[in-house]
Amino acid sequence: MLREELHQEELGEIPFDEKEILRYAMLPSFAPAPEELPLQECLRAAKGAAQCRAVWRRYPLRRDGKWLDLGFARTDTLDLRQHLEGCGEILLFACTAGAEMDRRIARAKLLSPARGLLMHAIGAQQVEGGCDRLCSRLEEQFPDRRLTDRFSPGYGDLPLILQRDVMEALDCGRILGITLTDSLLMTPSKSVTAIIGMKERETEHELQRTADKRAVLPGRRNGNPAAGGRPEAG
Amino acid sequence: MGTLLQAEGLKPGEAPETWNLTHPDKITAIHRAYYEAGTNMVAANTFGVHPQRYDLAVCEEMIRAAVACAEQARKEAKVNHELFIGLDIGPCGKLLKPLGPLDFEEAVSGFAAVIRMGAACGVDCIFLETMNDGAETRAALLAAKESCDLPVLVSNAYGADGKLMTGGTPESVVAMLEGLGADAVGVNCSLGPDALAPIVERYLAAASVPVLMKPNAGLPQEKDGKTFYNVLPDAFSAQIAALVPKGLRIMGGCCGTTPAYIAALREAVGNQVPPPIEKKRFTVIASRGTVLELGRDPVVIGERINPTGKKRLRKALEEGDMAYVLNEAIAQEERGAQVLDVNVGTPGVDEPALLTQAVQELQAVTDLPLQLDTADPAAMERALRAYNGKAMINSVNGKQEVMDAVFPLVKKYGGVLVALTLDEAGIPAAAEGRLAIAERILKEAAKYGIESRDILFDTLTMTVSAEGSAAQVTLDALRMIRERTGCGTVLGVSNVSFGLPEREVLGSAFLTMALERGLSAAIMNPLSDRMMGAMISFRTLTGRDENCGEYIRFAGELPAMQAAAPAAQPGTGLKETGAKGLRRAVVKGLCREAGNLAREALAAGQDGLDLVKNEIIPALDEVGQGFEAKRLFLPQLMMSAEAAEAAFREIKAKVAGQAEGQQPKGRVVIATVKGDIHDIGKNIVRLLLENYGFEVTDLGKDVAPEAVLEAVERLHAPVCGLSALMTTTVPAMAETVALLHEKAPWCRVMVGGAVLTEEYAREIGADGYGRDAMAAVRLVEKFMGGEA
Repeated sequence: MLREELHQEELGEIPFDEKEILRYAMLPSFAPAPEELPLQECLRAAKGAAQCRAVWRRYPLRRDGKWLDLGFARTDTLDLRQHLEGCGEILLFACTAGAEMDRRIARAKLLSPARGLLMHAIGAQQVEGGCDRLCSRLEEQFPDRRLTDRFSPGYGDLPLILQRDVMEALDCGRILGITLTDSLLMTPSKSVTAIIGMKERETEHELQRTADKRAVLPGRRNGNPAAGGRPEAG
Repeated sequence: MGTLLQAEGLKPGEAPETWNLTHPDKITAIHRAYYEAGTNMVAANTFGVHPQRYDLAVCEEMIRAAVACAEQARKEAKVNHELFIGLDIGPCGKLLKPLGPLDFEEAVSGFAAVIRMGAACGVDCIFLETMNDGAETRAALLAAKESCDLPVLVSNAYGADGKLMTGGTPESVVAMLEGLGADAVGVNCSLGPDALAPIVERYLAAASVPVLMKPNAGLPQEKDGKTFYNVLPDAFSAQIAALVPKGLRIMGGCCGTTPAYIAALREAVGNQVPPPIEKKRFTVIASRGTVLELGRDPVVIGERINPTGKKRLRKALEEGDMAYVLNEAIAQEERGAQVLDVNVGTPGVDEPALLTQAVQELQAVTDLPLQLDTADPAAMERALRAYNGKAMINSVNGKQEVMDAVFPLVKKYGGVLVALTLDEAGIPAAAEGRLAIAERILKEAAKYGIESRDILFDTLTMTVSAEGSAAQVTLDALRMIRERTGCGTVLGVSNVSFGLPEREVLGSAFLTMALERGLSAAIMNPLSDRMMGAMISFRTLTGRDENCGEYIRFAGELPAMQAAAPAAQPGTGLKETGAKGLRRAVVKGLCREAGNLAREALAAGQDGLDLVKNEIIPALDEVGQGFEAKRLFLPQLMMSAEAAEAAFREIKAKVAGQAEGQQPKGRVVIATVKGDIHDIGKNIVRLLLENYGFEVTDLGKDVAPEAVLEAVERLHAPVCGLSALMTTTVPAMAETVALLHEKAPWCRVMVGGAVLTEEYAREIGADGYGRDAMAAVRLVEKFMGGEA
């Protein structure tokens, strides 16, 4: 049985992005990679490992006093409330790079800690790349809506325990093979779940107001990258 | 079922099985509609009932109610055809080890409990479906076979890539399931009939049991805010019916299908009868996702995981150092092994436990099929249970006692058996004697229903230096058995040269002779260029190597070719030699160069300990300080650590010959705490601590507090490091810290990991907080420095 509100996405091959991979391996973009860092070897060993797949579902969003009714669960966490300000609906999704990626990571760790780190970073880049691809498909699917950034259980004060509801709501075990351990870790480990808020495209008035806000808070973009990582859709 | 339940008002997130108790009338009506649409078997509404989700008492109540609904429907249905009820079993919701947390035997016992309940309620068969993990399918099938005598139908869910979520292919899955005695195999869910058809055809080509197919009604699509499935009953039924002439025997519908689809299917199939099932003759072994046919092209079985005559491996096994075993496996795979022999029998180890652990851990890092090699039937059985696939089993022989012990295992778990041509009277001196034993073994195996295609004969390689005609007899027996029985053959080739110099010269010639006589698989050392050269040359010379590609690749990696190749690019800057260069090499993280320079310096008479003290440690300090000052970053720190390790290896190799070298600075036990599986950070800490001369006992990940305490007490370790990445596993860390403080008060506990902070660490009672790997090293130095 596949629940009809659930949408599956095969995300295809995600190209390796070496800069991103090194960033996930904790190398800042300005620093040169060590000469013998076995990145190319790891990329070769990772070839074909990740098969990004996702499932998503659309829910109405309701506010009930301090509670946020997400359609699949209720929560009173403030950070998510703030993130979803102005949204009338949400998209809930789960995306995984698959089990083979975990096996390649395990194997790389055996060969050397540096390869373990790099393979782990490759897995992270692959699943994040999968999420990005999914999000651009969602943008296309909902051209009249503005989508917020992704917000995952564990971010801010949104508790990880919500993962149980997410797994259930998206039938993750069945569709993607994602399951939870007792300590709420996802297996396969290179998996992401997140909530995206959807709002009506801004009216001219709102656009003006946003622009005014920016004029008042000029430092916001540079000063706090976490607050505005996403380019404004326009 | 689910599709109709939603139409009846099942809410999103509501478990369908609860309706057995709350809406039995609706469940009954749905079953009845399917019977009346023409189905022969309904699957009771028990898909999600499993002890991982419900208490046993609740499971039992749900199953009883579900079967009662199906029985009621069978009574009410106004049809003439035969009606059956299957106990429906879906995935349990947890992924099995090594990728997930669930222990294999725990999975088996959970499924067994449910299956016993269903069998007691009188279902006609067990239907395992929608399984997307081979290991879980295996657990469920084994549970069914051990808990009831009912037929078991097994259906897996494949992705669009034609693989299970955990990597299984139709061929590897069929090999495994048939080995375990599945009564029918097939596919369901995830895709529509057209996308599943190629997978079904692969099943038909591989299987000797009936094949089933239960596709979705295509894919869900959204139009005008409404969701619908894109394959309608006519197309659905036509696409499935087209597979009946190819051998498809059992069919139905999964997500999005309704009784209308079943009625259409009934209509489309009409009176068509599939052709008889052809018993397959080929011999295959399989791992999780690889199948290997034996008897077509000769196969290399890597022999190196066997402690006989290998001191280092024996020590690793005694100490439970599985990393050593795994590295042996990877090295053999990289050099062309296609199967790995696994023998861990050495005095003083718990062989059943160790062989099982080795099998599980090997399967986590390599997909090569394994050959389980033990003389202990208890060890063989445990390892066979744990092995995900269809294993090679090494071995049985003509002794009645051994056949009585081994054949039941092969019958139960499946596998390809290596049969040695010896018996109570020993090894026959003549080839005819060995053939006679082979024939007797085949006869005895047939009593168990073990097919001759699942037996390979080993005509026993004897030492030619002890008996001049030994090799000839072995080879004659090989050809004779191949011709007379049609069975495949296997030889451990290395033994032929025992006691002689330059063994590989003789061994490789013997291998070629055996291959020429039809040897199916050679148990040999894939790290030996000469042996691999003989094998690859044979493939090339017998037309099995297209454009000589394999041979050219192999030859290109031979040392002689490497030496002839132009020298590598000179390094940037001035190449320094000796000790000074070593320091630079470590700082720069140049592993090969660091190893070479250390070796050169030692050869030039430099003292190993001086090199450590004056070059390597200062280099590590320089990098460590750079890291602390945020001038250098994790990848650089790690590469330097690995370069240092390469230099240490050279020094250790030199010092090992002399008296005890560098005095270890003290013991540190490290672990990732229970419930947490993130160990990248912990591994980095281990590497750095080892660089700085500490003896590190790494307990791995997901380690229970008691296990940490046990190690700390046993080793009387003065320092213990714990790592946790998730907020959810910090309580386990706190528990471990408390236990250590109570029972091992001498031990200082340091903690680290992404979620921790200095304050958090203090709160849970840790003696120190390592912000990063360098900080952990500094902490251990402080603790060991006697600061109490």
